[in-house]
Parts: sequence; C-alpha cells; structure tokens
Amino acid sequence: MERLIEILEDIQPDVDYASCTDLIDGHYLSSLAIISLIAELEEEYDITVPAVEIVPDNFNSAERIMKMIERLQEEY
Amino acid sequence: MQLSSLLLAGKGKSLTSLFSLLYLILFLPACIVGYTLTPKKWKKYFLLLASYGFFWLISGELVIYLIISTFSVHYFGIWIDRLSGQMKAQLAELPKEQRKQAKAGFVKKQRGVVTLAAVLHIGLLLVLKYSPFFTTNVNTLLNKLGLSVSLEIPKYLMPIGISFFTLQAVSYIVDVYRGVIKADGDLLRLALFMSFFPQIIEGPICRYSETAEQLWNVKPIEYRNLTFGLQRILFGMLKKVVVADRLNLLVSAVFDTKNNYQGGIIAIGAVCYTVQLYMDFSGSMDAVVGTAQIFGITMPENFKRPFFSKTISEFWKRWHISLGAWFRDYIFYPVTTAKKMKKLTSSARKKLGNHYGPLVAGSIALFCVWFCNGLWHGSAWSFIFFGMYHFALILIGNMLEPPVQAVNKKLHIDPKRFWYRLLQIIRTCVLVVIGELFFRARGLRAGLDLFKRMVTDFSFSTLDNRLLKTLHADRYDFAIVGVTLLIIFVVSVLNEKGVCIRESLSKKHVVIRWAVLYALLLYIIIFGAYGLGYKPVDPMYAQY
Repeated sequence: MERLIEILEDIQPDVDYASCTDLIDGHYLSSLAIISLIAELEEEYDITVPAVEIVPDNFNSAERIMKMIERLQEEY
Repeated sequence: MQLSSLLLAGKGKSLTSLFSLLYLILFLPACIVGYTLTPKKWKKYFLLLASYGFFWLISGELVIYLIISTFSVHYFGIWIDRLSGQMKAQLAELPKEQRKQAKAGFVKKQRGVVTLAAVLHIGLLLVLKYSPFFTTNVNTLLNKLGLSVSLEIPKYLMPIGISFFTLQAVSYIVDVYRGVIKADGDLLRLALFMSFFPQIIEGPICRYSETAEQLWNVKPIEYRNLTFGLQRILFGMLKKVVVADRLNLLVSAVFDTKNNYQGGIIAIGAVCYTVQLYMDFSGSMDAVVGTAQIFGITMPENFKRPFFSKTISEFWKRWHISLGAWFRDYIFYPVTTAKKMKKLTSSARKKLGNHYGPLVAGSIALFCVWFCNGLWHGSAWSFIFFGMYHFALILIGNMLEPPVQAVNKKLHIDPKRFWYRLLQIIRTCVLVVIGELFFRARGLRAGLDLFKRMVTDFSFSTLDNRLLKTLHADRYDFAIVGVTLLIIFVVSVLNEKGVCIRESLSKKHVVIRWAVLYALLLYIIIFGAYGLGYKPVDPMYAQY
C-alpha cells in the first residue's frame, strides 16, 4: 500500500490518499493522471490493466486500486 | 447523404419522426393497446414484433441488414464465450506457471474472433456509407494527376439507424470478449436489444448490460410510467415542433441558398442552427426515453444540458453522451492502454512531467476518437474537419490548463466564482456554434466561406423586414422561439439543480396537473410550426 501511495503522490501530489474515497468522482485524478497511473502500476506490479477495468469504482480510493491490483495479480 | 435518398426503399417516411402524427396517433397507441392486451409472458415478443414492424415500415426490405447484424453478433458472441469456457477448463488443469502462456494463446484466438466481427460490421458500414466519398476523392486525385480514368461512384441504399445499431453490435461483441457480459444464448432477446423501436432511428447507443434484461423482463404498463412517459414525449414535442421546425426555413435560407448574407446574419444562422440541432436531437431523445418509460424501461440519457458546459471537453460529456461513451470505451482507452502507448506515457512523463507526459499518448488517442467521431457523422471533408476542430480545441484546452491555473493563482482569481464560470460557458457556446457552422455548411469550402464572411463582415446593418422575409422569419417567429427557449432554459436550470419537474407536478392537485399539461399541449398546437408555409425538419441524426 505504501508503494502505491508513493506512486499516486508522484503522479498527483497534494491529495490525502489514505482517506480520500472519491479520487475520480471528486475529480482529484484526471484522465491524464489515470493514463500515467496505469502505466506505472503495470510496471511496478507486473500486471496488465485492461480497458474494461478503467471504471471509477476501481480508482476511487487507494484501497480500491490495491484491490484491483491484487485481483489482477491473482488472475492467471 | 440526404434522408430522402436513404428512404428510397422505405415504406413510410412520416414514421421516421417520433413526432409524426402517424407515429403519435396510430403506431404508439396501437402498441400501447396491443401490449396491454397481450398476456404477460408474451409481452416481450409483442415488443419485438412491434420493433421489427416499425423497422419494416421505415426501411422496407432493408430490414435484412438488421437481421443479418443480429444473427452475426449472436453467433460471434457464442463463439467468444465458448473459447472462454474452453480456456477456463484447460487453465484449471494446468500448473500455475504454465497458465500465463496458455491464457495468452486463448486470448489471441478470442482477439482474432473479435477483430473478425468488428471488421465485418464496421466494414459493412464503411462500404455502405463511405465508398461513394472514397471513390469521389480517388477520382479527384486521378484527375489532378492528369489520368483520364474515372471510377464509377457506387450507390447503396442504407437502412436508417445503421450507424447506431452497428455501434451497438460492436459494443456487444467487445463486452462479451472483455467478460463484462455473458453471450446471449437467446437470439430473440438479443434481437429485441438490437431493434427496440423508439431508439432504432437516432439512438441512444445502448449497452447490452443497460437495456437487454429490462426489455426482456417487461412489466405491465403502470399509470405513473404512462403519464411520466407521455409528459416527456410532450416536452420533446415542444422542442421539436415549436423551436426546431420553426427555425428550419431560416437555417435553410442561410446555409442552402446562394444569398451573400452579411457576417452578422450568418452568425444568427449558425446560432439558430445550433439551437435547432439541439432541440431536434434532444427532443427526439425525450420521445425515445418517454416511449420507453411507458413500457417501464429506463433508457440512458443522451443529453445533460450541454450548453451549461464550461469547456469543450465537458460539452462532449453532456452532448450525445452515448456516442462519447462508446468512443471512450472502445477507442480512447484501448489506444491509451496499448503496450506501446503505455511505454510512451512512462518515458514522456519522465521527460515532460505529470501533465504534458501522458498528454502525448492521450493526444494520439484523442486524434483517433475525433477522426472517427467526425467520420461517423458523415462521409464528407466538412465532417472530418468538424472532428479535427474539436480535437484541436480539446488538445489546446489541455495544454493551456497549467498556465491558466498559474495565471489565476497569481492574479488571485477564483475559478469557482459565478462570473468566471459564466465567461467559460459563453466561450464554450461560441466555440460550439463555430463548429456547428462547419457541420451544417454544404461542404468544407462553403463552411470556410461562411466563416470568413462571418468574421470579416460582421454587421447587422442589412437586417430589416425585407431581409427577414428572405429568411422566412419575422418578429413573431423570434418571439415564439425566444419564449419557448426561456421555458426550456428554466426547466434546464431546475434539472441542473436536481429538481425533477414531473415528480413535483405529480404531487400537485389533479386540477393543476391537468391544467399544466393542457396548457403545454395547447401551446404546442397554437405555436407549433406545421402546416402550410412550414417545412418540418427531418430527424437530423437519423441520417448519420
């Protein structure tokens, strides 16, 4: 989780990622930030984030992002 | 291509508008009565029959395209699903370290099937819709090269709504591939999803996950749904019959005649066309959503008060929402998440920073989206220009975001202030009107000529009663359009604030409720632009 928050802060600073639960709905993360984030997540966690996963529900909080990462890592 | 030529094989042109008397007095009531009398378990089949009957009436034998399209997506979906099943069964038997490689093999096969399906469906649309445009341009090129060869320009009859149901078909196949939905084993359920009669002409472009189940599990008609649905149709009729149709002759005079109007008059024409297009299209969507509601079906909204947008980007999230969402999900994200693009994003971010870095890959994807968006609207250079115009505006908007924020910070300007947001809204509206001028002009050259005159000769000095006569408009027309737009504006502001007027009205006393509805109906009857001296506009988006 710590590493994920570091990545998020690097892409979009000045957001409290530990508590924020509306990163997309609250417009904290723009579509450009999402593009960067996906590229970073794939490199860091050795996963592939398909287009179908790009929905607000998966990106609204650091916790949700982490859950998506774990799910994608589990998928064979 | 003109709507009239699309309808050469059609049986009843007047049915193509959801506001035609034939539809409102005959078809819709017959459907409501027939649906009510049909036993519950047969209602879905009644809707399917009504939808195909409707399509037959507007497109005649061209209904074959819809049938082929439905059969095709049905079998492609089952094929992809079968591959998924095989993959899961085989992977479950393999040790974990071998799964990734085995999965890649199956995904490759599935991708091949999806690509084949998309190529067949989009390819058919390309051939029918764009081959005359392509051949004409090839002929022009050959001519410029001094070659005396000329290719015959093909002429095809296209069924109305093919651009809409093709996108719906592709979204179904891709969603099955992505695992968002299971392939539908019931051909008739899929057929109803593809053909539901209110939406077949102008959309909205629905996703299988949004409407298929609702359509199949239809309920009996309820009083509330019936009244709410009819009220929504009535509101759409206000937009279409009172505003869009009334502006038709004026818009036609500015854009279709060779009168060299002053720049100011062209600007009035462009504003009127933008209003007309919005009133026509969003009015039709009101009729679609209202009709569906009568049968207890919730259709996705296609408009969310687009002229309250602060940026062009926001405008396209509020205007023709289902088309924008389709391009986002099936072009923008797949392009930006392609392997090479992700690498590009990573390296560009290191060099250009958090804002401009991802913008490199983002702008390539945006270009693809807007090129397709322009082309989707029509096979002409003016439509491609229209797409590129909006691509440029969105890109410039993105590029200017950091410096604008810095200037605001330095000058202590709060972007949330009312006057700042109002200026942003006015700027967006002006940019949209300019785009619509090119969209409506008869070709790119005509559009550039109109734009040039609008800018270089911006004056209203010739605007008098005689000129208004050539525009087929008088002060009475402007007054009616003005008052009606004011009513629609008030409703829009209330909607923007989350007020549902139909809900509020339903809580009022029965006398007030009916008085309001009768007043609206009378208003449409008295001030609607129909009969002698008027030319109703064909459903504008039906030709795309």
